[in-house]
Amino acid sequence: MNMDFVAGAIGEALSISSLIGIGGGVLLGYIIGVIPGLNRSVAIAIAIPLTFYMSPFIAISFLIGLSKGTAAGSAVSAILLNAPGEASSAATCLDGYPLARQGRPRTALKVGLFASVLGDILATTILIFVAIPFARVALMFGPYEMAAILAFALVFIAGLSSGSLFKGLAAGGLGIFLGTIGLDAQTGLPRMTFGYTELMDGMPLIAVAIGTLALSEMFVQSERLRYERDSMSVKLDNSDKDKLGWKEFLTTVPSIFRGTAVGTVVGALPGLGPSVGSFMSYGMAKKASKTPERFGKGAPEGIAASESADNAVIPAALIPLFGLGIPGNVSAALLVGAFAIHGITVGPLLLRDEPELLYSIFAGMIVASLIMLVLGWFGLRIFAQITRVPPHIVIPIVIFFCLSGIMLQGYGPFGLIVLVAFALVGFVMKRYDYSFVTFLVAFIITPMLELNLRQSIILSRGDPMVLMNRPIAVFFIVCTIIALVMLAWRTMKKGKPVAGADPAA
Amino acid sequence: MKKKLITTALSTLAIAVGGVTAAQASDWPERPVTMVIGFNPGGSTDIQGRVLANVMEDYLGQPVNVVNQPGAGSAVAFTRLANNTDEGYTFLFGGTTALTFTPIITDVDYEIDDFEYLAAVAIGQNAIVTSAEQPFETFDDIIEYGQDNPMTYAQQTALDQAIIENVAEEAGLDLSIVPTGGGGGMAPLVLGKEVDFAYSGGTHAQYTPSGEMVVAAFLSAERSPFYPDVPTLMELGYDYSIEDYRTIIVPAGIPDEAREALIAAAEYASESERFRETTEDNTFFPVVFIGQDEMEDNIRRIRAATEEVMGD
Repeated sequence: MNMDFVAGAIGEALSISSLIGIGGGVLLGYIIGVIPGLNRSVAIAIAIPLTFYMSPFIAISFLIGLSKGTAAGSAVSAILLNAPGEASSAATCLDGYPLARQGRPRTALKVGLFASVLGDILATTILIFVAIPFARVALMFGPYEMAAILAFALVFIAGLSSGSLFKGLAAGGLGIFLGTIGLDAQTGLPRMTFGYTELMDGMPLIAVAIGTLALSEMFVQSERLRYERDSMSVKLDNSDKDKLGWKEFLTTVPSIFRGTAVGTVVGALPGLGPSVGSFMSYGMAKKASKTPERFGKGAPEGIAASESADNAVIPAALIPLFGLGIPGNVSAALLVGAFAIHGITVGPLLLRDEPELLYSIFAGMIVASLIMLVLGWFGLRIFAQITRVPPHIVIPIVIFFCLSGIMLQGYGPFGLIVLVAFALVGFVMKRYDYSFVTFLVAFIITPMLELNLRQSIILSRGDPMVLMNRPIAVFFIVCTIIALVMLAWRTMKKGKPVAGADPAA
Repeated sequence: MKKKLITTALSTLAIAVGGVTAAQASDWPERPVTMVIGFNPGGSTDIQGRVLANVMEDYLGQPVNVVNQPGAGSAVAFTRLANNTDEGYTFLFGGTTALTFTPIITDVDYEIDDFEYLAAVAIGQNAIVTSAEQPFETFDDIIEYGQDNPMTYAQQTALDQAIIENVAEEAGLDLSIVPTGGGGGMAPLVLGKEVDFAYSGGTHAQYTPSGEMVVAAFLSAERSPFYPDVPTLMELGYDYSIEDYRTIIVPAGIPDEAREALIAAAEYASESERFRETTEDNTFFPVVFIGQDEMEDNIRRIRAATEEVMGD
């Protein structure tokens, strides 16, 4: 690393105009993150034209700041409203909301904030030091490896979040089934679209996710409101027990490191995305814990695991982007477009042709993390104000944002129908203890899994011996089998559904 | 400060284009206009569309709002546009394969005659690409190599697959064809040498400047000015092409004043430095201006040719 560039980059990142640009991005992202239904990619898409008049460095830092802000902000609504601002914070709800209901919302928010910022800074540092040399490794992940990893992720997450093996199979099966709807990737022929053009691209993911997660939760809340009349959102007061002590914070540190590691690996692999990262990290934290039964009842480690992984994915997704020009997820793909508008080709050439720019962006990313900390710390009270509003006002507002978020996505009335339909599905699943997490993950993973599996089978010409040259793929296939066997064994031994089940089920 | 900059930029533009702005005859549009893009944000259509909207805005004097309606290679957006009654206030910007190709293999609720093709502002790019690290470089190399080795090809649409299948049969290749998730899914397969060669609808522009990816041939009717040495499939003796134009499309029968204003704004944009720079320098799509009469003919001619290929 050339020291002149580094010094220059830090100077540029600390200039007034870049601080305003980056700070504005983080703030905007934070607000969008807090609002359930407004998602990151929509925000970036809308913001890209705003960057026309900025310098390339400020434009890119603004957009990266925006992504980072959404990942941190989404924890606020996950904790206080039990409705994640982004699908990737769904795992934060599992412990964040119970902890907040126990009268410790401030603790939950702070754990979320620290985990977000730490995960973010650590992953950004990893990006800076490994992006260039390490990115070449990503090329080793072909369709065989991707198919094996996706199969493993599916089994792992399903095993983790399903209370009952059979209810888990039902939920996962429904997700896989819905995930196969749409045009066949190769022939272009419609599958199960019943003549609806809107279904050609499959069930709209955002509508399904917001419906199952956020809108159904509003239904659950409304039902509770009828009988309980207490506040569904959690109030922030100055009670003594609602303080995050140093000791308690230290207990979350291992989860944060583990979450960052998981988030970085998941982010660096194209196509997996932050939701997979946060759920995987949550599952691993629960596995590693000596007291897994506390998870789902307000364990700070759960919040830390989910949020650190969620935030770590964002810088990590830039590893293949800067190293190879391959975007790791939707938000990174949008950044490619933003770079193009400013006349910059992302990829290995960026380091050779524009080292100042690349290092400035890295410096800007660290600045964004710090701004996020300051903003989250001092804004805690302001962002938490939404919780002071009584539920009979909050519920319709959240419903409004769910609906308008779908309209903003451009799905039109069809998107709204899907949204409401899946809100009902989610409501029924929550009511009867089916894991909507397994359902959603299966739904999201199925198209990727199908594509990679098909590619593998065609490329191998049906010969499984191809795998002999693919140690990474073999490793994940073995992991998948072990996970399956263990799950079955656990179920048989207990003669009943897996105990200590995830409360999300 | 920013406002001042924009104002300065605008007045400079106004001076640069002489009387064009002043010469606007009608009052249309009286309110903001919507540009529909049938793809997700971030792709080449989206990038070009957003800059185009920006430039058209300068000309029309009303905001041009961009809305992404992704799905089925724009078929979703076209279905909705066919039922649109906004009288020109909503138009679509994008390629034309959803009209020249999609209806042949799928039941869709729209037809070519449901729309008017006001103007094309860029020529679609369809290429056959391979990795620089492969033992072959030109399309002839690929065919020759394929005489002794089984080959793999990554497709993106049923159309490019049909063409390559025909070529493989004529040339006697032992070819397996894999699906990809679009240009973003194609790049790692090619660069990681998982496949020998692949179709690219524009993604190659991001990888050829670094020399990692090589364009072996163009499926387009003509060579690209950005790769003057790369021949078309037609030149190589295979009678197939994919023609595509990035076009401004409205529902048929919009008011005359809307039609005239949109065509004029498109012509203005095709001459604008900003649109040209983004489109040519960054996405390698040649900027053109093709008027309505020619486009109406083009669409119907391409459709007929495509029906012939797919009929095989």
